[in-house]
Amino acid sequence: MSTMETVRGRLPVAGPAAVRRAVGRLLAADPGRASAVLLLYFGAAAFSVSVPILLGKVVDGIAADWTTGQVHLVCAVILACVCVQFVLSRLGRLAGYRFGERAAARLRESVVERVLSLPLVQVERAGRGDLGTRTASDVNVVADMLRDNGPTVATLVIEVVVLYVATFVASPLLGLVALVTVPPLYLSARRYLRRAAPAFLEQRAAMSEAAETISASGAGARTVESLAMQEERRELGYARGQSMMDKMLRVVRLQTNFFTLLLMINRGQLVLVTLAAGIWYFQGGLTLGTAIAAITVTVRIANPTNGIMTQLGEFQQGAAALARIEGVNLIPEEPRDARPEGARLRLDGVTFGYGDGPDVLHGLSLHPAPGERLVVVGPSGAGKSTIARLLAGIDRPRTGNATLGGVPVYDIGVEELRRHVVLVTQEHYVFTASLRDNLILAAPDAGDERLREALRRVDARWALEEGLDVMLGEEHRKLTTAEAQQIALARVVIADPDIVILDEATAGIDPASAGNVEAALAAALAGRTVIAIAHQLQAARSADRIAVVEGGRIAEAGTHEELLAAGGVYAGLWHAWQGD
Amino acid sequence: MRLFLRQARPHKARLALGFLFYAGASCTSMPQLWVVGKVIDEGFIARSPRDLAAWLGVAAALVVLQPILWANGFRQFSTVEARNQRQLVRDLTDRLNTAGPAVRDRVSSGELLNLPSEDARRAARAVNDAGFFFNTLVMFLVGAALVWSIHPLLGVVIISGSLVTAVIAGPLLGRLQASQSDYRARIGDLSAHAADIVGGLRVLRGIGGDVLFAARYRERSDELRRKGYEVAGPSSWIHALRHSMPIVFVAVITWVGALLAADGAITIGGLASAFSFATIFIAVSGNFVGTSQYLVAAWVAAKRIVRVLRIEPDLADDGTARGGRGELRDPESGLAVPVSGLTVVVTAETAPAAAACERLARYRDSETVWGGRPLAEYALAEVRSRIMLLTDEDYLFTGTLAATLRVPEARARQAVAAACADDLASQGMDLVVEEGGRNLSGGQRQRLRLARALAAEPETLLAVEPTSAVDAHTESLIASRVAAARAGRATLVVTASPLWLAHADRVAWMVDGKVHALGTHAELLADAAYRRLASHSA
Repeated sequence: MSTMETVRGRLPVAGPAAVRRAVGRLLAADPGRASAVLLLYFGAAAFSVSVPILLGKVVDGIAADWTTGQVHLVCAVILACVCVQFVLSRLGRLAGYRFGERAAARLRESVVERVLSLPLVQVERAGRGDLGTRTASDVNVVADMLRDNGPTVATLVIEVVVLYVATFVASPLLGLVALVTVPPLYLSARRYLRRAAPAFLEQRAAMSEAAETISASGAGARTVESLAMQEERRELGYARGQSMMDKMLRVVRLQTNFFTLLLMINRGQLVLVTLAAGIWYFQGGLTLGTAIAAITVTVRIANPTNGIMTQLGEFQQGAAALARIEGVNLIPEEPRDARPEGARLRLDGVTFGYGDGPDVLHGLSLHPAPGERLVVVGPSGAGKSTIARLLAGIDRPRTGNATLGGVPVYDIGVEELRRHVVLVTQEHYVFTASLRDNLILAAPDAGDERLREALRRVDARWALEEGLDVMLGEEHRKLTTAEAQQIALARVVIADPDIVILDEATAGIDPASAGNVEAALAAALAGRTVIAIAHQLQAARSADRIAVVEGGRIAEAGTHEELLAAGGVYAGLWHAWQGD
Repeated sequence: MRLFLRQARPHKARLALGFLFYAGASCTSMPQLWVVGKVIDEGFIARSPRDLAAWLGVAAALVVLQPILWANGFRQFSTVEARNQRQLVRDLTDRLNTAGPAVRDRVSSGELLNLPSEDARRAARAVNDAGFFFNTLVMFLVGAALVWSIHPLLGVVIISGSLVTAVIAGPLLGRLQASQSDYRARIGDLSAHAADIVGGLRVLRGIGGDVLFAARYRERSDELRRKGYEVAGPSSWIHALRHSMPIVFVAVITWVGALLAADGAITIGGLASAFSFATIFIAVSGNFVGTSQYLVAAWVAAKRIVRVLRIEPDLADDGTARGGRGELRDPESGLAVPVSGLTVVVTAETAPAAAACERLARYRDSETVWGGRPLAEYALAEVRSRIMLLTDEDYLFTGTLAATLRVPEARARQAVAAACADDLASQGMDLVVEEGGRNLSGGQRQRLRLARALAAEPETLLAVEPTSAVDAHTESLIASRVAAARAGRATLVVTASPLWLAHADRVAWMVDGKVHALGTHAELLADAAYRRLASHSA
């Protein structure tokens, strides 16, 4: 219970270059499949574009008085081309989906792996929201991009390229004329994207603000009633609605302008090509069939072009999501490779403060003896939780030493460290998984009997009755705070480390049951070093030693009797607490 | 449906204008392709530069006019969409104000986050999609008529072709969605699994299990990939069909048109524009399917919103009495709150005592009486303004400390002092409290909630474990200061802490949800069971 929760570092976001590299990696990881996909797409587009080209032949043929048989023949070829196109496009799609599926799987697996190896201090700081969004919804956005929008736009781009090539094949000059509209299209798309990106972000932000306000009104509904806050909530909710509308209208204005331009450019291209074809046709440089082929090819360019343009925004969002995901990779790894000799944990003259803040601990020393039960007490904000974090190797002291077995705790690898030291806080997380899976974290091979024994030791009778296969979690079996606490403690019993640090681990249990759990836990952890941090004094009396922290220093330490006899801070607290 | 109509009604004129613009856009879009035929026949084939120039001029005019009309239509519909979003957020805000606690009990917090954002966005979109649908329909009708005018046979082919495409694409798409729903559900499962890993990351890193969970995630991710492979089969068929069906019809049109042209039944220009029409109809028949999908999504989202908007308050507010006076009593538990003094409720289990407090403050209906009259006969506003319940569930809204305390500074400072929240106030009254107080520690949140309740100075304050997250020293200070600050008013505190009991005017000892004994702390200490519960020296 300290100021630690007020310090919250934001996770980094990757820059454009890193995002490009990430895209490159995703594509390069599966080069065979990627090139197969591209080849099939190109083939499909080529066969589909042959339709207007052959139409030109038919037109010229009609002018040249073809027989019906000849017309039938060419039209049959057209139909055959369409069939080949269909087969190629289906195969291309299939390969594209599979490529996307594999890339998405690789992406999400690497993100989760990376998250699971984050430095402890980052895990503590990031907060669930940001990291959770990145591993769940951002990954889904990029995965959808890889599976769906990516292949779709790839086909469209290839189609457009092939269509432009086709106008060149029909008539190089008309091809050039068709290209005239590409630069303005490119420029207006770039301009649109540059403005739309922040507008879309603002719109999303306004939306999540509205969501946050509404859900706060919901979560705090009773508070609203009890403090008569209806008017404020109404004003705030209405303001959120207004801002959502304003932000959307801004996006709409940008979209309207861009799409207007897009439509004009597309159809303008048709008029230009037709005009050029007309002029050249009059000069005799062009057959009627070629002119018609070029014109009808140009008609076709509009559809895929619009398709690409409308998906640009989604690509931008995909890139933003990927930037956030890649940001997780930018968190520096902590080199932790020290190996402790023995299990003596101690703090020597440590000072510590959060971020750039003032010192919270001032040259504090604490030497828990192996096998002893040490209780740290003191008022809120005295620095008790900070002591726990230094002992558990989460933070590094500014000066002084926090050591386990002679080496700095924060230099010991996490896997090694947790065999010696386990910190249990009052935040008890229950996974959406079976009771068994919730327990075996530290010992995946533990047999059922060992798990049941641990549950017995923490007095979790309900768990023994319901069995190890019961599913826990929000939508299955919801646990009370006390039950979740018992699970957390049972995990520690199963992990069986040398040193257990309990940071207010039994806060929030009914007074009657808290006693039971503590007694059971004391028995379960007999022989281990236990450092218990408490703001209540229940646990203090039976402790081997009590350390009283005040203002970031150890004010006094000793057994219950010694401290009472000394008549200092602890004695005062004790008497007050007893109601004397 | 009624929601959609109610949303559309205030914007009738604007919507009519939008439809008109869209109709205009369609009527200028399709003829462009018809003009292509004219250009070819009367310009190219007739070798008449004048006619070529004239028809191209017509085309150019249409090219400029159509986007402008379209954009105006789009603007009308989008403006209505934006206003609908605003309206939905307002409706939700109002509903939460009238039926808040009932909504909270019936709607999950995740859903409540989605309602004003994603759901409101989808539901509001309906009007724009209806516009698109209309636009597409008019384009289709005008186009079909123009093709018909070239040659009825081509008209028949193009209309039946579009219908076949829509029929094939529609049901096939439905089947795809059915096969994808399992796949989508798996994606959701996997995301939930990832969120679970992140949520319990502290445990996984601190105690172990990271390897186990990583392996399990990989397994499930691999399953999803395999499922994705399965879906890829039908998906690729459908996408290829959707993409190729229209091209097939283009080919058929070409074939039929070529024969007609060879016969001289249609002109070459007619053939070229029929071909162009067929090409554009690709997009048109695709739009029908696309917008119908969006309309379905809007329908589903609107249903979710309407469900919440229909939630009625749990408590009927049909009482009219005002000016309640005297003792507040809950017959179910036997708990009573006298007009003044500090009553402490001692109990081994907090939940039944908290429930009794909810009845006393009328957060649930009961037989509770206030000064001899049933509590339900009083106006709810009267009850709320005079009886306040304080629990750890009370919410801290985002805002400065001053805004949180809601009273003039001097009074706020007094309340802060009584609740021992000076560590917060010393950072300035403009210290920002984030949503839910998430930038504060548990102890700070608890003391701030207490300070807020004290600042409101209710006649009767019912507090459930108001100092459970506070150290003994501070708890002792709070107990004495609160007792002094609320002298002369009614205060009830549920706690077994001797630090509070030392200041209690009377103590109600509750066993199994019923008042077991009443008296002073000293009197009750004679009972060993009570002593075990309420004295740390036992």
